[in-house]
Amino acid sequence: MKTIANNLRLFWQGTMLSYIALFAWLRPTTYIASKILMPLAQILFFTFLGSYASGGSNVDFYVIGNAIQITAVSGIFGVTMSIGGDRWAGTLPYLFGTPANRLMMFFGRAFMHIIDGALGVVIALMWGALLFGVDFSQTNMSALGLTILVTTISTCGLGLLMGCLSLITANVMFVNNTVYFLLLIFSGANVALDTLPNWMQAFSQILPLTRGIASARILIAGGSFSQVAPMLMSEIGIGLIYGWLGYMLFKWFELQAKRKGTLETV
Amino acid sequence: MNFKNLFVYWRTVLTVAEITLRHQWNDSFILFAILVQPMIIAVLALFMLRGLGGDYAMFVVVGSGLTGLWSSLLFISGNSINAERWQGTLESLVAIPTPFEVIIFGKNLANVVQSLISMTSSYLLAALLFGYTLKMVEPLLFLGSVLLSVFAFISFGLVIAPLFIMYRGIQQWQNAMEFPVYILAGFLFPIALLPNWTTPISYILPPYWAARALHETSTGAGDVQKVILAWGLMLIFSVIDLFIASKLFKVMLYKARVDATLETE
Repeated sequence: MKTIANNLRLFWQGTMLSYIALFAWLRPTTYIASKILMPLAQILFFTFLGSYASGGSNVDFYVIGNAIQITAVSGIFGVTMSIGGDRWAGTLPYLFGTPANRLMMFFGRAFMHIIDGALGVVIALMWGALLFGVDFSQTNMSALGLTILVTTISTCGLGLLMGCLSLITANVMFVNNTVYFLLLIFSGANVALDTLPNWMQAFSQILPLTRGIASARILIAGGSFSQVAPMLMSEIGIGLIYGWLGYMLFKWFELQAKRKGTLETV
Repeated sequence: MNFKNLFVYWRTVLTVAEITLRHQWNDSFILFAILVQPMIIAVLALFMLRGLGGDYAMFVVVGSGLTGLWSSLLFISGNSINAERWQGTLESLVAIPTPFEVIIFGKNLANVVQSLISMTSSYLLAALLFGYTLKMVEPLLFLGSVLLSVFAFISFGLVIAPLFIMYRGIQQWQNAMEFPVYILAGFLFPIALLPNWTTPISYILPPYWAARALHETSTGAGDVQKVILAWGLMLIFSVIDLFIASKLFKVMLYKARVDATLETE
């Protein structure tokens, strides 16, 4: 019982401190610029582009796709910076020196970003309703809430894997930015997946977000939870696989660092 | 900015530009900004706009290239003075006899010229991977538009860079400034889609006139008068930007040399 309590405390403290440290460094204005205005500008850009492409007939498709994709700002960038932050700040050797439960420590880094990312999607959808008149009157709101949460968790799973890459490469922002922008294509946020070449469709199926975005579109159009439940199960499964791969990489990195006496392989 | 200095110190401008290019080719973020991101945007736009027909592929090539130019200007040229501070070389640069703005002009020249790669890579992507036959309707006018756009972007960059170092509050909004200019400058869709109140904002942005000149000369959508109007406005805005930049550099150098601080916070 005591072990469980200790692990939960470690999880909570780790998640809070890494998040506070991240935004203490980033400053509140950077938070507003990166998490509120940048997503709004991205939604506007792709929605206007989509509107131009479709003659203004399919605005909801782009608003919803980009609003859900916004979760990747927290899921990819936020989680990566929380994991990589320990290396950049020089606290990684101390963490590896503690007997703390690695699973709690590792997944704790993503927790606040899940809440933050889900909140970001809610704000983005509100922008969509306000500026583009996206209609939520037929929407099962609790199912949509669950979809947002599942998609955010799934994206944070990919972020955990990316975060581990930040421990073994100096070019992680290159990788992160590339992954973020590739998700704009492959997740179906801006292009209907069935219009993409087969290999692109196949690749999109192993990514987080793809099923989350499709589910959100169905729910906002008035679909039922039972229609999207199988997709949400797959979405969370994909996220857990990425997260687990990240954890394995984290463990491997710790093992290598201790064996070779280095915390940096680059 | 004293124009004469650019001619007197032309060798310095070119040397700074060369060193900047060599230095930046090792920076993966810069490669992302000028190569990867514009290509991804080009792929997206090619898929999204394919129903439009006509010369949309050339429109996408130019538009996505412009996104690379702007992102590079915002993040790389915008931080061209900050980068010296981070590396600890700013104090030396403001103390040497060579005018500081000459050095920053050289850095911005390198940044903007290397950003033209984004247009070339988008062209190759559309032509080789997507198989489009791309035809430049007015190649000479297009070349003129490119040269004037480079000058307009450099001049704009010379305003942004001292602002970012003196007022860090502005620099913190950097992440939020990327997409709005894509939208307001009409890189990939006409600004007629936007609400009317945004039009005056577009008109005072040099990237908007660059986009107009480049789109109209590449696709043949506009007549010569429209192109000349865009060129003229790019020149006017460049002169205004250089005037503002000269004032900002004076204030910045005063802070550096007299107040011994480059931060107003």
